Amino acid sequence: MNKFDKVNSKTLWERWQFNASNFPDNDAIVHWIGGEEPYRWTYKNLIETAKKFSVIVRESGIKPGEVCALIIRHHHLFYPLYMGILRIGALPAVLAYPNPRIHPDKFRQGVEGMSQRSGLDWIFTEHDLDPIIRPLIEKKNSTIKSIVFPLEWDLEKNYNKNSDDHIEQDNLLIKETDPALLQHSSGTTGLQKPVVLSHKAILQHVKNCATALELASTDKVISWLPLYHDMGLIASFHLPLAYGITGVHISPFEWVLAPVLMLEAITKEKGTLSWIPNFAFNILADKIDDEELEEISLESLRLLINCSEPVRHDSIVKFTNKFINYNFNPQATGACYGMAETTFAVTQTTPGEKIKTFDADRTALSKGIVRAADKSSVIRVCVSSGKLIDGCDIRIVDENRKDLPPGFVGEFAVKSVSMFDGYRNYPEKTAEVVEDGWYYSGDYGFISENECFAIGRKKDIIIVAGKNIYPEDIEDAVGKVENVIPGRVVAFGEEDLELGTEQISIIAETKFENETDKNKLRLEIMKAGMGIDMNIHKVYLVPPRWLIKSSAGKPSRNANKERILKKEDPQVWSR
Amino acid sequence: MISQELQKVILTELNIDEFDFTDETKATEVPGWDSLNHVNIILAVEKYFKVRFKSVEILRLKNVGDLQKLIDSKLQK
Repeated sequence: MNKFDKVNSKTLWERWQFNASNFPDNDAIVHWIGGEEPYRWTYKNLIETAKKFSVIVRESGIKPGEVCALIIRHHHLFYPLYMGILRIGALPAVLAYPNPRIHPDKFRQGVEGMSQRSGLDWIFTEHDLDPIIRPLIEKKNSTIKSIVFPLEWDLEKNYNKNSDDHIEQDNLLIKETDPALLQHSSGTTGLQKPVVLSHKAILQHVKNCATALELASTDKVISWLPLYHDMGLIASFHLPLAYGITGVHISPFEWVLAPVLMLEAITKEKGTLSWIPNFAFNILADKIDDEELEEISLESLRLLINCSEPVRHDSIVKFTNKFINYNFNPQATGACYGMAETTFAVTQTTPGEKIKTFDADRTALSKGIVRAADKSSVIRVCVSSGKLIDGCDIRIVDENRKDLPPGFVGEFAVKSVSMFDGYRNYPEKTAEVVEDGWYYSGDYGFISENECFAIGRKKDIIIVAGKNIYPEDIEDAVGKVENVIPGRVVAFGEEDLELGTEQISIIAETKFENETDKNKLRLEIMKAGMGIDMNIHKVYLVPPRWLIKSSAGKPSRNANKERILKKEDPQVWSR
Repeated sequence: MISQELQKVILTELNIDEFDFTDETKATEVPGWDSLNHVNIILAVEKYFKVRFKSVEILRLKNVGDLQKLIDSKLQK
């Protein structure tokens, strides 16, 4: 263990300064770039560069408490910039850089929605996005004060020692309960819920996570996760940085094109910890040719944590069977359950112990009863996400938020010492999900022998590769496609066993009857999805009045999904 | 120019009938060709043409024309 537990840092900056003083030459961040030598930030260099950024940030007119959205691609200057913003007491908020397939107007609307909801004050980005974002600033009543291009700043020329000293003095006034950063909970850009976290929440979380992970000074985190995601930002960025160990960051865009990059980074850097969503276990196991794995050794990896989408037993088995031949320790598979609202983790599996599973009777489980499978059962292997970490609590509740006895499936209500203080500018949403200090997560599961098993969602959210997608957004886009009957569309998640995740499926009513028209319509539906950066995997076309309505008069997602997956109706066209 | 064979492999993998591919076509312009599908397309191309790409080669691909050139270079056309 390093000295973390003995140091009583009040703020993240204080904590980082401590690390820079005590381990100046240790690698803080290794910025990984496929096919190139990585860029290595030592703690000393990182903090010095962050100071230079903070001087320009302040001289740009940015004030403590203001929210600075960062929309920047994988770049080695991102990290000290983020830290520099935080140093002056402003709140960094990492947003996703737009995928080229998303329509510029749609992206702009998303940022606008987010700026109104989250109260974005400044946009830190790259010049390419200037024409898309600038109209927002010029708009009446815009919250955004200006757009800046920090990667073009001349840090040396603009550095001013006096200003630096002032910032350091002012930084000492920041309290541990002051907001440190803003992260967004799941959802579509523009509709995501803004979560503000204090220094205290993050530092306590890091400490509790570190205890659960048995973190040591020899640990090294390997990550390709985007930093706008809580698992990327908190687990892979803040945790190592606060603890004084190394975080290796691979571009998510590069990883998805060449998944072997993660394994190369683990091998070369001797990575010990990594968090990935379930689908990545499948991709790594199935989509890399053995020839590419010749020099791979996962010997150093002591914990590979499955999180952010339902943990599938098949995926873990598949990964373990493949990589046991590359020195992967089967006991190194882990899982955790967490969310932005509790900073990140609520539960964590025990390092060095085999991940727990529960063979449940699938029929009983579908009725909300947890019963061990017997010989006559159709089995569902549920995988544990571990035990509660320090400072967290959990209850299993029914639809009236009353506690359920053991042996029943219910909604997870959670509590954490690192809990958010409510969604920013969104009291009505906060009131919906928080009651008496408990956060009602919308996730369904059960507890068995103190192990937490998350098995589903209360709402119809589709989780594609760790990304939460609201069906309403897709239905809105597809409902506007010509020859789809308006309002007669349903989007749902369909299990993709090969990839170990869900894919988006659409059921749409149309009057089209012949094959050619239906094929053309399918393509238009797929393009409508592309316009909002969502890949529609399967399209089911049905005749008018086919969709089952719910009591509210809208097409029911569950009933129609069930009906379509029975594959019994000859009127259904699909591809 | 994109060969008929390459077009066919991509279209089959994406389960679409036609698309007007040019050298400049980017993955993001083709329905269904998202990041999750990209790895499947690359594997299908490797299998069909009996070639093997290095990860660095894949990272450098900017468009379908680059993919065609890479295949050609492997086949020493």
